[in-house]
Amino acid sequence: MDLLKGTLDMLILKAVSLGPLHGYGVLLRIQQISKDRLEIQQGSLYPALYRLEHQGWITSEWGESENKRKAKYYRLTTAGRRKLRTEAENWNRMADVIAGILQSKPEEV
Amino acid sequence: MRLWNRVQSWLRAIVGRSRIESEMDAELRFHINAFAEDLVRSGVPSEEARRRANMEFGGIERTKEECREARGVSFTETLLQDLRYGLRMLRKNPGFTLIAAFTLALGIGANTAMFSVINAVLLHPLPYPDSHQLVLTFLGDATGSSSRSSYGIVDYLATRENQKSFSHFAAIGLGQNSFTYIGAGEPQRVRGTPATGEFFAALGVQALLGSTFNPASEAPGQPREVVLSFRFWQSQFGADPFIIGRSMLLDGQPYSVVGVMPSDFHFGPRDNDEIWPLLQLGPSEVRPPYWIAPFGRLKAGVTRVQAEADLSRIAEHEQHLFPKSSYDRVSIVPMKAFLVGDSRIALFTLQGAVLLVLLIAIVNVANLQVARASTRERELAIRTALGAGRGRLIRQLLTESLVLAAIGGTAGFALAQLGVRAMLTLAPDALPRMSEVTVDSRTLLVSSIFSLLSGILFGLVPAFRGSGGGIGMGLKSTTGSGQPAARHRLLAILVVAEFSLAVILLTGAGLLARSFERLLSATPGFSPQHLITVQLALPDARYPQESQIADFYRQLLERLEALPGVQSAGISMSLPPNLLALQNPFRTPAEPIVPGKELHAAEEMTVSPGYFRTLGVPLIAGRFFVDADRARSDQILIINQTLARQYFPNQDPVGQRLQTGDADERSPWETIVGVVGDVKYQGLDAKPESTIYVPYFEKGWTSWSREMFLVLRSTSSEAALMPAVRETVWSMDKQLPIASVRTMDALLADSIGQPRFRTVLLGSFAALSLILAAAGIYGVISYSVVQRTSEFGIRIALGADLNDLLCLVLTRGAKLALLGVAIGAPAAFMLARFMSSLLFGIAPADPLTFVGVSGLLLLVALCACYIPARRASRVDPMVALHYE
Repeated sequence: MDLLKGTLDMLILKAVSLGPLHGYGVLLRIQQISKDRLEIQQGSLYPALYRLEHQGWITSEWGESENKRKAKYYRLTTAGRRKLRTEAENWNRMADVIAGILQSKPEEV
Repeated sequence: MRLWNRVQSWLRAIVGRSRIESEMDAELRFHINAFAEDLVRSGVPSEEARRRANMEFGGIERTKEECREARGVSFTETLLQDLRYGLRMLRKNPGFTLIAAFTLALGIGANTAMFSVINAVLLHPLPYPDSHQLVLTFLGDATGSSSRSSYGIVDYLATRENQKSFSHFAAIGLGQNSFTYIGAGEPQRVRGTPATGEFFAALGVQALLGSTFNPASEAPGQPREVVLSFRFWQSQFGADPFIIGRSMLLDGQPYSVVGVMPSDFHFGPRDNDEIWPLLQLGPSEVRPPYWIAPFGRLKAGVTRVQAEADLSRIAEHEQHLFPKSSYDRVSIVPMKAFLVGDSRIALFTLQGAVLLVLLIAIVNVANLQVARASTRERELAIRTALGAGRGRLIRQLLTESLVLAAIGGTAGFALAQLGVRAMLTLAPDALPRMSEVTVDSRTLLVSSIFSLLSGILFGLVPAFRGSGGGIGMGLKSTTGSGQPAARHRLLAILVVAEFSLAVILLTGAGLLARSFERLLSATPGFSPQHLITVQLALPDARYPQESQIADFYRQLLERLEALPGVQSAGISMSLPPNLLALQNPFRTPAEPIVPGKELHAAEEMTVSPGYFRTLGVPLIAGRFFVDADRARSDQILIINQTLARQYFPNQDPVGQRLQTGDADERSPWETIVGVVGDVKYQGLDAKPESTIYVPYFEKGWTSWSREMFLVLRSTSSEAALMPAVRETVWSMDKQLPIASVRTMDALLADSIGQPRFRTVLLGSFAALSLILAAAGIYGVISYSVVQRTSEFGIRIALGADLNDLLCLVLTRGAKLALLGVAIGAPAAFMLARFMSSLLFGIAPADPLTFVGVSGLLLLVALCACYIPARRASRVDPMVALHYE
């Protein structure tokens, strides 16, 4: 399943909210949580990470990976945590509304 | 926090650009490696894993570009990239860069220099605190018809006591601007402005040493005070720190030095050796003469209109007290506006002119750019093919232009410094406040704006054209002759624009030059060659009696005329061309005195009998004065032709009578004994005025003759003659200063300093525009000849006449030039109307100037086109056909 437009940022924030991750880790984490049901363009991941960092939702620092390599780790900032919360609320509200619309039956209209 | 993050990431992006780039590399490499390792772990062979990891990741360069953009810094990076690229392109074409930068430097430099003058003269406030509050006051009347007048003593005193508008009210005396100072050594004439007690307080300035005047000393009988300028203190007293309280002799009177002003204080020209003796004014029985120039500092919140009403009330009261006088209104003029005077029009004209030069320079550079664009078309097409957007290309071309403009602007700023220095050396007095002209931060700012704007202007034309071409077009045409028709049209438009701008400038310059020529050939009313002038002043203290003064001058003139080399000598209160000392009312017997009605004014001056002969003023009727006239009991005078023509038309004026001075029935009637030719005392460009001459020994007039100009007609040079003159004067009075020794030729030259300044300046701007326009049309016609080489080759091969080809090219040039002239002519006419007040003796629509300028431009265009035209007619058909 392809990603809905505009949802990648929210998923990245969610992924790093569970603990610092490098870019590849973000990819794996999203695939793992979604049980491989979501397909993420690997190339589009990094521009999104850079954008989120530039906006101050996440910060990065260099660390060591599981197999002893230097990797850049991303972590959620306080502002990012707030952002994630409002984004999630918005999303849920929107999903409810859309689900409600889609489930409506002729007699309810 | 978020903002800070942003700034940090932005800063990091600029400062550590390469570090960020390598980090990005490392991060992406890590991703691909980790992915590949995972694949290997799941059983894919390592070669295959690497290939698949790379493939699934997608275009790595595109990702990087997107990352750069996501970081929000691509603008700066692109800019740096464009800058580097632009510099490289400019370095690769040193010829183009040099010519373009030099052209721009000329335009920007001339503009910056001109702006420095405007900045200092018109924009800078006067060098006093809150100088906008300083205003001058003038007497006038309700009709507003009579010109502004200075104050009389009664007006000044009444205003000082009763005014409510000023925090400080002061005045300077106009009667005297130099004093005889006897210190150590020869007696000297020093510059000095008599000023009232509040003079310095009103200007808001403090003394460097001692204090300024004590206002209480302003009453007559109080000790006389004098304040020195810094320069005077240094040159005359060797910067003596104990100068305060010392006494100095001025015009034979002891003055006590109360203060020394700071070196940056000036009232009038900067850096002047000057003194300010306290002007003490006591009550007066009469209102005229009007020789006091008052000024004041407006109280906060008082408007000019309120102040005018306040002071008019006082003037009205004085008019009631002195019913024969007519001034009952006061008008107020800001001090700066008064000082700057009418230099505004000249300055705006010049700045406008120099802006046109810049425009022409810009057009020329745009021209070069467009021509060069042909060689760059392929480069641009390739870049477009590789994915550069139109906006990106425009930005890059613009950056390149801005780099060029910056180079030109920097050089121009340097040129401006030289230009300003040259102007100050050549014409230090050409404008009021000229001594304050410097190149400052505001000038620098304006210069940068000029550069930026020109960069954008000449960058935009080729940028839009350059980025507009289709890809295929540029790639296919290997010789770069794609869209030649469109390009030719653009180039032609630019050349036409240049010529229309040049026609405006040349017309302005032509009109000024013709005026100046008229001014030079204007007859001053006498023969100015071989005349030497000297200022003399007999102090009150040692010459209290009129007879002493008259005796002194008679003897002096006798002795001087006996000197070898002196043909004749004379004295006068006023001197041509612009050293008029007095204007006085007069009436003829035919005109009764009507209260409140102004009499006519005439230039009136005392002269010696030999003055006319010395200057070479012709006698029209009657006779000159003679020494024997001193014995007469009645009063006599000589009038000039203008007065004779105006007030005694169709009559013999000799033997007729005039009353001079303020309207008063009891004044004596004076008999006209002669009529002489008109002499200009108010500038060569002024209309001839009525003039009345009185013998210096006439009763009541001799005391006016303390300060006189001595005029000598001599066959020897100034340097050869002056020692004998000095000796003669000092043999009669050892304490008399000999001041302002000038030749009449020098006085004449000084008097036309302003018109000369603007004529030379506008003339050089026009010459510059002519050269640029010539270069422009040469470039364009050459370019079109090169483009049409094969066409010419074919024509020649088919037997075309070489002269026909020559004509073909020349006609094209002439057409462009004429079109430009036709478009520019109406604007030139508008400029001529605007500057009509600067013209003398010619109409703004002077046909000779307009025809001459058009002819000149056409001629220049033809000359500039001749070289490429000859080239066209010499084309070798074989070479030409192989050319493409």
